[in-house]
Amino acid sequence: MKALIIVAIVTAVLFLLYLVQPKSRRRFIANLLSQVKYLVPRYFT
Amino acid sequence: MKDYDVIVIGAGCGGLASGALLAHQGRRVLVLEQSERVGGCCSTFEQQGYRIDIGASIIEFPQVIDWCFQRMGTSFYDEVDLVPVDPTFSAILNDGTRVTYPISLEETAREIGRIAPEDVKGWERYSKKIKGFLDAALDGFFLSPANNLTDVIKLFARTPALLKYNSLFFGSYEGVLRKYFKNEKVLESFSFHSFYAGLPPSLLPGHFAMIPYAEHAGIYYSKGGMIGIPEGFRKCGEKEGMQVRLNTPVKKIMIENKRIKGVILEDGTEITADIVVSNINSKKMYLEMVGEEHLPWLAKAGLKSYTYSMATPMLYLCLDYEPPLNDHHTLMTLPMEKVNDYWFEHYMKGSFPGEQFGILSWTTRSDPSLAPEGHHIIAVTLAPGVYNLEGTTWDNEKNAIKESIIKYLSKTYLPGLEEHIVLAELSTPVDFERRLRSPEGAIYALRQDLPHSMMFRPSARSRHVKGLYLAGASTHPGGGVPTVTASAMIAADLIEKYEK
Repeated sequence: MKALIIVAIVTAVLFLLYLVQPKSRRRFIANLLSQVKYLVPRYFT
Repeated sequence: MKDYDVIVIGAGCGGLASGALLAHQGRRVLVLEQSERVGGCCSTFEQQGYRIDIGASIIEFPQVIDWCFQRMGTSFYDEVDLVPVDPTFSAILNDGTRVTYPISLEETAREIGRIAPEDVKGWERYSKKIKGFLDAALDGFFLSPANNLTDVIKLFARTPALLKYNSLFFGSYEGVLRKYFKNEKVLESFSFHSFYAGLPPSLLPGHFAMIPYAEHAGIYYSKGGMIGIPEGFRKCGEKEGMQVRLNTPVKKIMIENKRIKGVILEDGTEITADIVVSNINSKKMYLEMVGEEHLPWLAKAGLKSYTYSMATPMLYLCLDYEPPLNDHHTLMTLPMEKVNDYWFEHYMKGSFPGEQFGILSWTTRSDPSLAPEGHHIIAVTLAPGVYNLEGTTWDNEKNAIKESIIKYLSKTYLPGLEEHIVLAELSTPVDFERRLRSPEGAIYALRQDLPHSMMFRPSARSRHVKGLYLAGASTHPGGGVPTVTASAMIAADLIEKYEK
C-alpha cells in the first residue's frame, strides 16, 4: 500500500512538472513518451 | 558460382557509394535501379531544355562525402564539378525583414547584430558549442555503426568528448536554439532548418541544431545539376568494374536457410549473390521484399511501428525572367511557434494551405547552363505535406494547389512570377512515391526523432538475414546526402569485416 502511495505521488509530481513546461517542450516529451512502447521491438530490427 | 558477389538495390547516393566502395574492395557488384536515372532524391531531370533538380539543392558536410571518395583514392572535388554557394542562405521573414548569412562566421555575427544586437554573443557561444560537438562527433557519430547497445557504448567510449554534449541529444532543436538566441527574428531565420532533418523545431532532437552552423563549413552545388554527385560515385564504381542497371525493379529478395541467395526482378529474372545491400526504404524492403515469414515477431512489430518521414511537395518553376532574388537559397520563413503549429494544425490533420513557407532554390544562380540563355529555374521546397490529405487526394487537388501557390508566390516573394512561367510542375508526395517508389513519398525514409534513431533504427547489418546489409536513409545515421554516404561507408566496413 505504502509503495503504491509513493508511486502515485511521484507520478503526480512528474505530471505537474510536465504541465508547467512550455508547450514546445511538452510536445517533445509527449512525442518521446508515445513511442516508448516501440523501443524494444525496434531494437530488434 | 553466384552471378555477382554483391547486389545493391537502389542507385541513390547510398547505394552507389556502397557499390563503389565494395567494387573497390575487389567484389563483383551489380546495382539495380527501378527508375531511368540514378540519384533518388539527389537527382536531376531534363524537360524542354531545363535541367531540374528533383529534391536536394545543395550539399552540406562536404567533408563526409569527400571521406568516401578518398577511400577510393580520389576526392569529391576531383570527381564532381562543384560550385561554392555563398551566402549560406537569405531569409525573408514573415514580417518582411530580410537577413543574409554569409559563409563567414564573423560576417554572420555582424548580420545578426544588425537585427538583434543582443544575440551576437549568443551566436558566438552557439558557434563555439556546435564546433566543439562537430569536432568531437563528426567522424565518430557518422562513421560508426549503431546496430545495438554495444555499438553505441563503443561509439561513446571511442569518442568520450561526446558525453560533454549529451544535453544536445535529450533536448529539442528548438530548445537548443532558444538557449542561445532570445530574439524571435533570429530564431525564425533558423526555424525551417529543422525540416532538413524532417521534423518541426519542437520535435527534432537537439543535436540537429548543428545544421545552421554546419552550413558555414561550406556548401556546394553540383554543376549540371545535383545528379552530378551520384554520377561521381557511379563513375568511381564503374572504374572498379561495378555495373549499374537502370529501369530494373526488384520484386523479392531470395533467402535460403536465413541466408541471402539473390534477388528476383519484377520481370521474373533471378540474379544470385551472397550479399545484398538494400538502399531502399527498409520497412518496405523487409515487409515486402524479404517477407514476414523470414522475420521474428518482435522484428515485425518493430518494423510496423516505424513512421515514415515527412514528404516534401516540390514546385518546379521554369521562367523567362530573372527572379527578384539575390541568392541560391532564399528561405520563406514563419516564426518558430507558427512552424510548430503548422505541423500540428495542418500536417497532422491532413491539410495543405496555399500560403506557403519553405525554400526558393534558384539553381540557375549558381549554374546558368541549367536553362536556355536568359531563362531561370526555381525549385520551391514547400512546407511538409502529409501523404493522406483529409477528405481528398493529392491527384484531385494538384492543379488547384499549384495555382494557389503560384498566385501566393507572385503576390509575396516573387512579384511578376505569373507572367513569366514557361513551365510549372508540382510534385506531390504521391508523385514522389510513384517516381522514387519511396513509400508515402518519404524523403528521409523513416522519422528522425530519438525513438527512430541509432540502435532503434533498422540495423545496418541485418539481425535476421545473413548477407543482408542496409545503406541509405533508413539506417543509422539517417537521411540526407552526407549521412547516406556515411551509411554506405558503414555498410562497406561491416561487409569487409563479416563477409571475407
